[in-house]
This record gives sequence, C-alpha cells and structure tokens, in this order.
Amino acid sequence: MSSETVRGRLTDGELSPQRVAGLVAAVLLAGLVLWGFAFPETQAGRFVAILTDRSTLAATLRLSVPIAFAALGGIFAEKSGVINIGLEGLLIVSAFGGVYMADVTGSVWMGLAAGIVASTLLALLFAVVCIEFRADQIIAGLAIWLIALGLAPFASQVVYGGPNTASVDTVDAIVIPGLSSIPFFGALFSATPFVYLMFGAVAASWWTLNRTSFGRWVNASGENPKALDTAGVNVTRVRYAAVLLSGVLCGFGGAALSLSIGQFVGSGSTMVNGKGFIAIVTYLFGNYNPVGALLSTMLFAGLDALQLTLQARDVFAVPQPLVRTIPYVTVIIVLALFGRTRIPKAAGEHYESGDE
Amino acid sequence: MDRFDRRTFIKGTGIAGLVGLAGCTGGPTGGGDNESGGGEETTTAGGDTTSESGGNETGNESADGGSSGGSGSDVNVGVVYATGGLGDGSFNDQAQQGIQQAESEYGISYNEAQPDEVSQFKNFQQQFASSTDPNYDLVSCIGFLQADALSEVAPQYPDQSFQIVDSVVEADNVASYVFKEHEGSFLAGQMAGMLTTSSFSAGAGSTNEEKVVGFVGGVEGELIGKFEAGYKAGVKNVSEDIQVQSTYVGSFNEPSGGKEAALSMYNAGADIVYHAAGNTGTGVFQAAQEQGAYAIGVDRDQSVTKSSYQNVILASMVKRVDTAVFNAAEAVVQGNFEGGSVTTLGLEQNGVALVYGQGLKSDIPSDVKSEVESVRESIISGDISVPSDPSNV
Repeated sequence: MSSETVRGRLTDGELSPQRVAGLVAAVLLAGLVLWGFAFPETQAGRFVAILTDRSTLAATLRLSVPIAFAALGGIFAEKSGVINIGLEGLLIVSAFGGVYMADVTGSVWMGLAAGIVASTLLALLFAVVCIEFRADQIIAGLAIWLIALGLAPFASQVVYGGPNTASVDTVDAIVIPGLSSIPFFGALFSATPFVYLMFGAVAASWWTLNRTSFGRWVNASGENPKALDTAGVNVTRVRYAAVLLSGVLCGFGGAALSLSIGQFVGSGSTMVNGKGFIAIVTYLFGNYNPVGALLSTMLFAGLDALQLTLQARDVFAVPQPLVRTIPYVTVIIVLALFGRTRIPKAAGEHYESGDE
Repeated sequence: MDRFDRRTFIKGTGIAGLVGLAGCTGGPTGGGDNESGGGEETTTAGGDTTSESGGNETGNESADGGSSGGSGSDVNVGVVYATGGLGDGSFNDQAQQGIQQAESEYGISYNEAQPDEVSQFKNFQQQFASSTDPNYDLVSCIGFLQADALSEVAPQYPDQSFQIVDSVVEADNVASYVFKEHEGSFLAGQMAGMLTTSSFSAGAGSTNEEKVVGFVGGVEGELIGKFEAGYKAGVKNVSEDIQVQSTYVGSFNEPSGGKEAALSMYNAGADIVYHAAGNTGTGVFQAAQEQGAYAIGVDRDQSVTKSSYQNVILASMVKRVDTAVFNAAEAVVQGNFEGGSVTTLGLEQNGVALVYGQGLKSDIPSDVKSEVESVRESIISGDISVPSDPSNV
C-alpha cells in the first residue's frame, strides 16, 4: 500500500526509476561506443567496428523480415479487438506453402502468392472460430499454432517424404547503383525484394491505420466496438477484414523466410522457430505502432545478427552460449525499462451487436 | 492489472499447449511411413548409388524379402530417427541408407519413426520395444539426443536388442556405435587451411588473400565440439597464422541463422566455412553461393544430397552412419549381436572420411589431395593425435 504511493510519486516526478535506469544504460552504451571510436584496437573498438559494419545492418534487415511482417499482422488483428497469438502458425504454413508452390511452378513469386493464400486461409479459419463461434481468442490462437506445427511438416512428409522440402531457387538482391556504395547505410539499397516489401508494408500499414477510414474503424472496433456499431459500421466485418489482413501480412513474412533460404525445414519447432512469438513482443513493445514495431523488430534482429558476429570474432571473453542470449536479455531489459504498452480496451472480448 | 492477467494467461496456456503437443504426436507410423520413405529417394538422394535399389521398394512385408534377392531373413528392425527428420540431406538420410542396404542384402523389414521433439524419443523407443506384432529384433536409435531416453528404456526391456548411434549407453542389451568425428574434421581443416593460403578458384567461388576460415556449429556440446576441435587442429596443422572463426547458431533447424552466421564470416574474410549443424547448414551453403566462397558439408556427401550447391561444396566430412546401422542389422541377422559393446568408427575403420564434392573434386589441386591423404595415414598410424575438445586446440 505505502510502496504503491511511493511508486506513484516517483513515477509522477521527473526522475522515475525507469528513467534513471534508462539514462544510466544510455550513458553506459554511449561511453562504450565513444571508447571504441577512440581506441579502435581495444575490445570496445572491435565491438564498435562490428556495430557499424554494413554487413551487420544487412543481416539485421534480413532477419527482421519475417518478424516485422508478423508483427504488422498482429497489430491489425489486435487493434480490431482480436488477439491473434497464432502468428507463429500463420508463418509456418506460409513458409511451407511458399516453397511448395515455388517448387511446383518454378517461380518465387508464385511461391510468395501461395504462401499468402495458405496463411490467409488459416487466418480465415481463426476468424470464423473466434468471431462467428465466439471461441476464446487465446485458445483458438494456440490451436492455430498447433495445427500449423502439425500440418506443414505432415504436408512436407506427404510430398517430399520427410519434414524438410527440396531446395528451390531464391531471389537475388536488388542493388541500387550509387546509393548501395554508401558506407553502412548502403545495405539499405542492396537488399532482397522482401526487405523492400517490408518497408513498404510498414509504411502502408501506418498509413492505413492512421489516415484511412478503415484504420479508424479498426481502432474503434478494438477500443469501443459499441460506438462503432452505433455509427452504423458492422463490427464483425471490420474484425474479419483485420484478421484476414493479418493472415496476408504473415503470409508475406513466412514465405519470405523460406524462399530466401530456398527450403522449408519442418523438423522440431520448424524453421520459424518462435519468430511469431517474438513478433508479438515487438508489436507490444512498439505499442501497436507499425513504425515502432519495425524499430523494435530491428533492435531484436540487430542484436541477433550482432551476437552471431561476436561469437565468430571472439570479441568478448565470454562463453558462446552466453553470447547467444544477448538479444533475449537485452529485449527483456529494454522492455522492462521503456515498455509502456496500452492494450486496446476491447481486445480479447467478443462483441455482439445489440438486438434491434 | 488487465495486462498482467492476460500475460499470465498466455504463459499458462502456452505451457499447456506445449504439453498437449508433446502428448498428441502419436506413435511410430508403420507401413505408411515406409511408403513415403521410398518416395523420399527421388527428392533427396538424386545420384546416390548404394541405396537406390532398396529405396525403390515401397512396401515392407514379405513381398520385399522375395523381390530383393536377399536371404529372405525375417528380421524386423525399428528405426527411431534423430529430430532432424528424413530429407535433412545428411544424418538421418544416411541412417536410412544403411537400413535400406540391410533390406536389400538380407531381406530384413523395417519400420521408421521420425520424432520432432526430444521428448518423443522415449515414447517411440518403448513402442518399438513393446510391440509384439511385428516383434522387433532390433531397435536402432539414431542420434546422441536419444541416449538419455534409451538409458531409461533399455533396462525396462532386457530381452530387446537396441542400438544407439553417436553415443554410449551402458546397458547389456545396447550396442553403442560412436565415431571419431574429430579425425575426419581434421582432414577437412587440413584441406581448408591449405586452400585458404593458396589461390584457388573453381566452381562458383574463389579463395581470397585473407587467412581466415570458419566453422558453424548447431548446438554446443561434446559431440559438435569434436568437429570443431578436429577442424581447428587441422587448420593449425597447416599454419598457426590462419584464424578460425567459430559460431554456434543454437539449433539444428535454423537455416536463416546459419546463413547469417556464415555471411558474417565471409564478410570478415573467410573463404571456406565448415558446418556441423544439420539443416542449419543449408543456410551456410546458400551464403557461400551468394558470396562466391566455399563450404564443407557434413555427415554425408552433401554435394549429392544438396546438389544445387554442388558448385561451392569442396568436400564433405562423411560419417558412415549407414555402416553403423547396417552392421548392427547384419549382426542381428547373423546372430552375433553383442549387447553392451561399444564400436568406435574412425578413419581407420572408414567410419569417417573426407569425400570431395562431386562438382569440385577434379579442380582441387593434387598436392592438397596428396597431403590430406598423407595426414590421414599419419592419423591412422598414430603420428598425429587429434584433440576431441575445442579448448585443447
């Protein structure tokens, strides 16, 4: 009780514990970077060299693609009031669907389309179960994940005789001449089409959510569905559209993941390996803002790219398994310090239009 | 408060879901699985010579024994694969090749189980061991991750013969087969070290000025450590100046991680990366192709199983899992199966070997090949001792 009030006073004031801790962390990081620039031969110097290496940015972008798409999908669904924790499952089916169609037709773009269709169909199932039959959204979302986790390796088993598919062609990077030779940021202009699609999707999602009437309906459907209903907009249809849109976006992400490797790996937790769940964290951390979600995705993916390089170059005298946990530990710390997520009021609740 | 409720709920249901998942994946798939196992040959084992005839047979019952021209033995083997599953182009596919060889030579029958999770091993092992129709004369457990489960299961079925590949289980009814991966990896390191210090260009890649090579591992542990140790020692045998970068991705099923790990090495000047990472290694090959550099495969001749990467795969450190599986099946057929024995397959027994890639073998300079051969003989004769722990390199 008393600690509550102390806490309240502290958070009201200028120097909340969160801010102090954040400030300390920022100062420490800045110090490390400055130290690295000043003394390039030290550990800190090598660390900064890796941090500012253009290949680190390139790796970050590639690793971000599936997570960012899934996060965008999650934003639409949850903003409309349907919590979609089945993102992982949508990624899995689209990863398989993409490679299968690319294998059959020989075209990466047909593969991408098939991945989107597969994911959208599964999202439709989720939407029908949640909206039409009023199932608990969390349980239905888990079911979507479990269905995909069984379905995709099974389909691969039927077609390819094992949980892993055959190899298909991948797409080459699109290099923009001139811009791609800029140090560090040049990686932005020499990337696969999927990376450009990701940026396009983030911009389009932001615009849709903030500048179109559909975006306002989605917001209202998650915040105050009754008001939306009163205004004469069909809440059910808005929610269907939002969930299907999350299927489309996840389809891009999953297909991009498998098509950039050219194979679907379905054993264990499949090649998606938790990226859908990371996506949930990133959009919560980004507070349902597509741009925020992209930035937090890139933070996580960047740390992941960084740890792979740190291991290889043996920069810090730390055992490799510990280096590998850097992204997770950092994300937890950042989340604890800066995370201020405001969940849509009606998220997770079924809405039924009142009788006439 | 609302937010907290939801998070705990997600956590709780997540755990419940995982438990449910572990429970509902079912038992070994019998004949149906065998059929698809036959189909698998067409997709992954393209140019494979030894097992094609076995692979074409899709059934598993008596018709097989007759048509395969073997001695028509009624021995029945249950195979529990490692979690990578069939189609990994390496470990499991090779185990399957061994059992198919036994099928065509001795007319044995077999059933397969492909677990996705470590937690399912015990279940599959027990189902094979307790089955009476058909009764399994041997249960082959592929992969070191099965050791814990098998050390519990084996004593429960004292009359059942088990085989474990890649680990040792101390029980009277288990025959253990282990490999000296470090010996084969030493040869891979020797070759990589010699090529990175010379100017070599063939296929889709070429070596550079920098004296850097790389190693990508799946999951840290004693087993993958043997690959890393042997490889590093082999590179150092060429020259102490060559830097070996090593990264563990933390999963055998994460090709996107393997690709980034390898790209980071290639960008740092590495021109040859050796992987011991199962499916994760596919990403390494892809990175090599993108960067115009080379990779070394593992477990099986991956220039055959992953033929689209033939132009960057210099060689593969082949682990004859098929020999281990075949030998155990053969021992059961001939009635001389020895429970409790540990068979170690090294360079000397041809249990491990460095096999040059199909696409590049004619381009690799003959002085490299002859040096690798003489190192191989020195290891067999004991003149070179290969460390099995990376911290001893």
